[in-house]
Amino acid sequence: MVIFWANTELARNARASLRLSAGGTGSDGDVGEGAISLNVNGDSRECAAPPTMRLSAALRDILNLTSVKEGCCEGECGACTILLDGKPVNSCLVMVFQARGSEIITVEGLLPETGLNSLQQAFLDEGAVQCGYCTPGMVMAAEGLLRINPNPDEVDIRHALAGNICRCTGFETIVRAVSVEAAARREMEAGR
Amino acid sequence: MSALSVVAPPDLSTLRSLLAGAATPVHFLAGGTDLLIAGCPLPDTGLLVDLSRMDGMAHIATEGADIRIRAATTVVMLADHCGLRARFPALSEAAAQCGSVQIRNRATIGGNIANASPGADLLPVLLAAGARLCLLEPGGEWNVVAILDFAPAPGRLIVEVILPNAGILPRSAFVKLGVRQDLTISRLSLALLAELQDGRFGVVRLAAGAIGPKPRRLPHAESALEGRRLEPGTLRDFLSSLVVEVDNAIAGRASQLYKRRAIAGLGLDLIARISGMNPRHELFEEALA
Repeated sequence: MVIFWANTELARNARASLRLSAGGTGSDGDVGEGAISLNVNGDSRECAAPPTMRLSAALRDILNLTSVKEGCCEGECGACTILLDGKPVNSCLVMVFQARGSEIITVEGLLPETGLNSLQQAFLDEGAVQCGYCTPGMVMAAEGLLRINPNPDEVDIRHALAGNICRCTGFETIVRAVSVEAAARREMEAGR
Repeated sequence: MSALSVVAPPDLSTLRSLLAGAATPVHFLAGGTDLLIAGCPLPDTGLLVDLSRMDGMAHIATEGADIRIRAATTVVMLADHCGLRARFPALSEAAAQCGSVQIRNRATIGGNIANASPGADLLPVLLAAGARLCLLEPGGEWNVVAILDFAPAPGRLIVEVILPNAGILPRSAFVKLGVRQDLTISRLSLALLAELQDGRFGVVRLAAGAIGPKPRRLPHAESALEGRRLEPGTLRDFLSSLVVEVDNAIAGRASQLYKRRAIAGLGLDLIARISGMNPRHELFEEALA
């Protein structure tokens, strides 16, 4: 399907409104010709995508953030999970133009200067990674949980990860990894 | 020429101005959790309006007589709102059981109504409460309709959901049955709103989802409880009437056989929830005997 802007009064109104909607900053420019400004992992990125493209596709195929996987494209598998304004969402169910002005975080945005972050390391240490396809989505869903609940029990963790499907490890090790990471973060916080 | 334009108006007044000049079909988008499903074609002409970032369109007001919920309020907001949970727990419970964390963070109450899935989790609760919808019609005029009379149409925007004070009974609960605990589409759901004082039911409203194309009130089952004491005989009549309701709703469907059995479990779960009793209380054992 080809989607483009009709050269009509209506489209001009729409563009004006898009500019208005940029949180009052007016700095995001006109998204109608394909360049959509996104705040990704702390950086402002220009994304040459049709406005109705799935955000998952734009992040992966245009911005080369390959941690974002498109699995089911219907919100069932969770492999495309990112944090949008701090909350886990299925990026396959967000149109790229809807993400303008929001803070987008992918696994790449969690990484320290070198190596892995502690949550990723916990996944490795607990054997929670097998084929790895679901892992970025699991990590982002877990990160979303730990940001609002630093002391989750097993039920909390399973509930938070219910939107992510793993077909390899059987979930036990994933739940354990999140629990281990939560405990480590609490210890670190207590030591401050 | 075929074209789809997208627009993200910052507020309702801008939206109204846009719609006034819109000659092409208008499509509304909020959370996108039903619009962007793989295999479902997007509209390829007209104007696609994003409602998810509009000022004031995601808000819950529980302080007044009526509860008023703006249409772009997300499902997670419904699940987490303390005032709503205190005053009308059935809606919070239905929201908390809707989809996954990721879905609840994007899906909206207006989208759940407009998408009109037979298994939509919020709809039985809204129906039982006698919800009214404040609509912005394609011509720009305002309209208020009962939720059961709402018909989705291009350009018809749900702006607010009104839960009238008279419809919010003191006790309420929601239960659903699916193939698993989380991220599951309801195979059967029930919402119960009731007055229950000193072991006797007063007014009762009961609605079911996923037994037919629309959620439906269950008048036989309501009558089985209204004005009666909470005791085994009442519950036996209640369970019998629930089976009648299933037979009336989906006679001849393949699911009828299991749903006429399954509804008994959901019905007793509801009674346990609103009465604060343990589901394994002997009262329920006696009712099933």
